[in-house]
Amino acid sequence: MIKIENLHKTFGKNEVLKGISTEIAQGEVVAVIGPSGSGKSTFLRCINMLEEPTEGKVWFKDQEVTTQASKIQQVRKKIGMVFQHFHLFPHMTVLENLAYAPVTVNKTPKREAEAAARELLKRVGLEDKEGEYPGRLSGGQKQRVAIARALAMNPEVMLFDEPTSALDPEMVKEVLDVMKSLAQSGMTMAIVTHEMGFAKEVADRVLFLDDGILVEDAKPAEFFAQPKSERAQAFLEKVL
Amino acid sequence: MFKKTHVLLTLVLLLVFSLAGNVLPGQHKAAAKEKHNKTLVMGTSADYAPYEYIDTAKGNKIIGFDIDVARHIADKLGYNLEIKDMDFNGLVPALDAKRVDFVMAGMTPNAERKQKVDFSDTYYKAKQLIVTDDPKIKKIEDLKGKAIGVQLGSIQEKEAKKIADKVDNVSIEKRNKVPDLVQEIMSKRFNAAVIEDGVAIEYLNKNPDLSSFVIPGSASAGSAVAFQKGSGLTEKFNKEIASMKKNGELDQYAKKWFEPKTEKKAEKKSIVDFSTIMPSIPYILKGILTTLKFVVVSILLGFVLGTILALFKISKVKVLRWGADAYTSIFRGTPLILQLLIIYNATPQLTGYKIEPFLAGVLTFGLNSAAYVSEIIRAGINGVDKGQREASMALGVSYGSMMRQIILPQALKNILPALMNEFITLTKESAIIAVIGTTDIMRRAQIVGADTYRYFEPLITAGIIYYLMVMTLTVLGRMLERRMSRGD
Repeated sequence: MIKIENLHKTFGKNEVLKGISTEIAQGEVVAVIGPSGSGKSTFLRCINMLEEPTEGKVWFKDQEVTTQASKIQQVRKKIGMVFQHFHLFPHMTVLENLAYAPVTVNKTPKREAEAAARELLKRVGLEDKEGEYPGRLSGGQKQRVAIARALAMNPEVMLFDEPTSALDPEMVKEVLDVMKSLAQSGMTMAIVTHEMGFAKEVADRVLFLDDGILVEDAKPAEFFAQPKSERAQAFLEKVL
Repeated sequence: MFKKTHVLLTLVLLLVFSLAGNVLPGQHKAAAKEKHNKTLVMGTSADYAPYEYIDTAKGNKIIGFDIDVARHIADKLGYNLEIKDMDFNGLVPALDAKRVDFVMAGMTPNAERKQKVDFSDTYYKAKQLIVTDDPKIKKIEDLKGKAIGVQLGSIQEKEAKKIADKVDNVSIEKRNKVPDLVQEIMSKRFNAAVIEDGVAIEYLNKNPDLSSFVIPGSASAGSAVAFQKGSGLTEKFNKEIASMKKNGELDQYAKKWFEPKTEKKAEKKSIVDFSTIMPSIPYILKGILTTLKFVVVSILLGFVLGTILALFKISKVKVLRWGADAYTSIFRGTPLILQLLIIYNATPQLTGYKIEPFLAGVLTFGLNSAAYVSEIIRAGINGVDKGQREASMALGVSYGSMMRQIILPQALKNILPALMNEFITLTKESAIIAVIGTTDIMRRAQIVGADTYRYFEPLITAGIIYYLMVMTLTVLGRMLERRMSRGD
């Protein structure tokens, strides 16, 4: 589904990604973990070109996204993204947040888009909030709306950029539950996260990044039981 | 939303043109009695009683000695007369730009003017008076060390210079209008002013404190009609003037307008007295509509253009950024009144299109306001969380939709107070358009001042009107702010 080849990204003099290559297969759930500043988020953001790679290639299905800047919108439609800080549209109600992109980008009739949006809200357990503005929701509710908003475009892949890092601890579970059920439904997902328990339980693969390098690529059971590299061992010692 | 912008733009343009078409201020067509099928356009400055002024208590008709004479001649020559009112300093340029066919404004032929325009024979000879509130000033020599006022660009200015050459330490102060001169004497800023006898009479009648004497040797060149160079009208007018002199018709008009009324030196009026201008207040109030139309169209134009400029400023295309920055720099870096006068006067000279005062005003204010609005909006856009942009991009939303539906609505909410402030400034500053003769609130207040010889009261009236307009805007802005903050 997604293929990444020799991905480099430099901000000024700072090389954040130093040549990463990997693939994500259809239906696979990949957890991207690593210490802060390791380049996890940048890696994720290069997949839908929110950051332009300095070097290297990214394919989405058979399409190379790194060369065709003009077609990036077509690709982004199929790649949902959830941000650490939600980025809901504050001037729109919950329902409008969900229906906006389908109506504007896909030209879905408004009524149809709203019906689909209500279904999604039910799925994330927020059917009673459709008329609220984001400012009146809790963090967990906001993130669930954000997930529903991304799902409203019927994406083939979902990218999660530290989706629970900005949440109060008691709200983390409600978001992870939604993500878990999404993974179970067969969605292809790439998740940058610090929730090791979640990664262990839900992910098919764990990518461990450190200092811009993909250090380990393993099944969660293996990775968490016997990390091969010293760096991963040190990291796990700190977080577990 | 995209369509809405289009509709808005169309509306603005329609409004601009329709207004330009029907609110031509200072234009008084004798529609009811179109006797002839040809029309002559006369330029004048209707604040020079009794030559030409507006009897504001009765309406907005321009009357006076010049008007009577012009009507008489035009009628004899088989023309209808249309009168355009403008600033005295704009009269010769107006002839130049062929905005008017001739000018009668108590104008004296002097060498400078003769270089630009042709003059008829003089139809009235006036004397130049020194008008003063100082009973000790009785002759030219008493002016030593004093400040005397004159109308800018007038023959009186020359007369004052002659006095300054003869008497020590005379400072000459110039103002745009005769009423300003009298007001300055009242305010004790000038000790005296040089004013033509016909004009001075009314002031002397109404102000018991003023006295006057004729400047010896000030054999005035008299008032004459001004035409474009080589105009065929000059000869025709001369013939009529000669015949009017001969059969006494000119004297009759002069008697009607220049003879002192004997009602006379009544009681000294209190400092502020609204009773005199009461009948003229409706005349000032009518200016509200002009000012409102002007402000609304200017704001819309400025807002639409300002938004476009703001988008240029944050664009990735260097030329657009550079162009928008240069635009802002120019319109913020030069005085508004200068921009107004350039657009109003240069347009006809450069393009031949006689831009109407209203349109010139709206353009200037719209263009000028756009510079400020673009900066406000740019700041507003930059103030919107970057995540909003990323979330839109990640959803595949196009740049245009993102700007219109995600970024700008949020930016607008944040910058509403700043925008309101800009609109309020524009409303107040709109008073500047009075200089090109648009009969807005300010201009009407000045005209009433010239007509009633009271200055304080019409200005206070205008001030109250402006204040109420600004307060209305402020309240509207607060309501809008409250509505837009519903999401918080």
